[in-house]
Amino acid sequence: MTLGARRLLPGLALLLLAAWFVLPLVPLALWGLADRWSAPAVLPQEWGLSGVAEAAEQGAGSGVVGSLALGGLVAMLATPLGALAGRALASRHLPASVLVGAVLLSPLVVPPFVVAMGFDVLLLRLAVPAWAGVVLLLTVAALPYTTYVMRTAYGGYDQGFDDEARTLGASPRQVVRLVQVPVLTPALAAAAFLAFLVGWSDYVVTVLVGGGRLVTLPLLVASATSAVGNEAQVAALSLLAVLPPLALLLIVAAIGRRGRKVRA
Amino acid sequence: MAADGPRRQPVTGLPLAAPGRRTHTAGPLHTGRSRRSPRRRALLLILPAVVPTGAVVLAALTSALLSSLGLTPLVGQPRLTLDPWRAPTDHLWTAAGLSVAIATAATVLAALVGLATALAITGRRRSGRLLALLSSATIPVPHVVGAAAVGLLLADAGFLPRVLGVETGWPPLVGGRWWIAVVAEYAWKESAFIALVVSSALASRVASYRDTAIVLGARPWARLRYVTLPLAAPALVASAGISFVYVLGSYEVAWLLGRPSPEPLPVLAFRLFTSLELTARPEAAAVAVATAALALAAVAVAAAALRRMEGWR
Repeated sequence: MTLGARRLLPGLALLLLAAWFVLPLVPLALWGLADRWSAPAVLPQEWGLSGVAEAAEQGAGSGVVGSLALGGLVAMLATPLGALAGRALASRHLPASVLVGAVLLSPLVVPPFVVAMGFDVLLLRLAVPAWAGVVLLLTVAALPYTTYVMRTAYGGYDQGFDDEARTLGASPRQVVRLVQVPVLTPALAAAAFLAFLVGWSDYVVTVLVGGGRLVTLPLLVASATSAVGNEAQVAALSLLAVLPPLALLLIVAAIGRRGRKVRA
Repeated sequence: MAADGPRRQPVTGLPLAAPGRRTHTAGPLHTGRSRRSPRRRALLLILPAVVPTGAVVLAALTSALLSSLGLTPLVGQPRLTLDPWRAPTDHLWTAAGLSVAIATAATVLAALVGLATALAITGRRRSGRLLALLSSATIPVPHVVGAAAVGLLLADAGFLPRVLGVETGWPPLVGGRWWIAVVAEYAWKESAFIALVVSSALASRVASYRDTAIVLGARPWARLRYVTLPLAAPALVASAGISFVYVLGSYEVAWLLGRPSPEPLPVLAFRLFTSLELTARPEAAAVAVATAALALAAVAVAAAALRRMEGWR
């Protein structure tokens, strides 16, 4: 291998990998800004926001509200429960921790549509409202992620912080509020973000258990995609479903960076 | 998920019973009403997560199993029967084979791309950070949006044939015989997940080992073969196992980008479940139970592979 090829090859591989991740998002962005884009043109003939207007007509507004509510509720429930469970798993005192860990990971193994189909009948018999059933099932689906993130965080948490605060006269509650929560904020933010994503992204549980009464963005994207000839609308709805979590990801990453700085 | 478990586990949650500090005998998070044993405290902490999870998963599986055996019909008398399992038999086998094939193809592709990405991320500073940013940007994309995006990219009037200048004779990648678009969407999303898990597993450990290998005179290829890959393997197997099980049980991408028949397991189950014929419900339950059994088997294989690996934990 010549020196030139040795330098060129990794660069080429890097370019290919970057293209692999970015390429599918390019037509989405272009269609979102296209009023007219007929084949075989590589770029739209007319630019504009007609897709956004069409998406708004299809109920994109209520879809955003539904998705935000679902993601928010799942995050609010799954984050504290995952933090408690992660703390218990990180302490070595949990009896039958292998079994308990397996139960907590089981939602990753049993597919969501199986859980939704099996549980749907029970929810109907117990007369649980559809939205509550969706929130319950998605919270359970989010718990493996929040538990894992918080378990890792507590595993790396220095017990010395607590000891020092207690020596200085802090009450147990103050230790949690003034020491643990600030130190664990990056992990809590990451856990909440993952739980939010579970609710925000779900399609199959919302359809099967929600029974069409709960409208979220993934439902709108799916119904627009299954029709033909409305690419601009599909793209607008899709961008609407991607941009808020991307913004959240940036916020979570910023919190993580600040957390690392605080500790260093 | 437990790919990058903590290597050290400081003992947390121990009540700090330092002599002479009887005012606060309980540990943190504890309101101080009574002294609880650490075991009991750990149990109390984990119950709010374990009880709903165990109850939901167990109840769902039991309910699906009973339904698939004809014991909970929506109309008529319960009767133990294997008919729901026999009714879609040829469908069931075809669907299972198709689902396993799609999941295998997508997982292998995702593992290759994910591993390459993780190596590029950990190997270089600047460009690695950019690649990490690009790959992690796909993580919050919902799969249904991924399906829409891949459809706009690979369909016959899609972005890719336009860029390549192919006006006629573009192969039917979306809805075609080989499920290319479906496999591509799963591989795209899951490769980012695998890259994230493997690169974070490597980030914390690879540097010191690599330096030692360099000091001992290892060439780049030997470092990759004997240092980096063994360190990456557990995270790779764990994340690939999770991806396989995810793809096996995922509905919307195969439904949107696949052909109408034959159907993979989740699509078949969904169609039977939402069918107007009430007799189709037990058949849907049979397909669901079969999918769960396949997923469990796949996880058992991955767990066995992990246990055989050195360096796990």
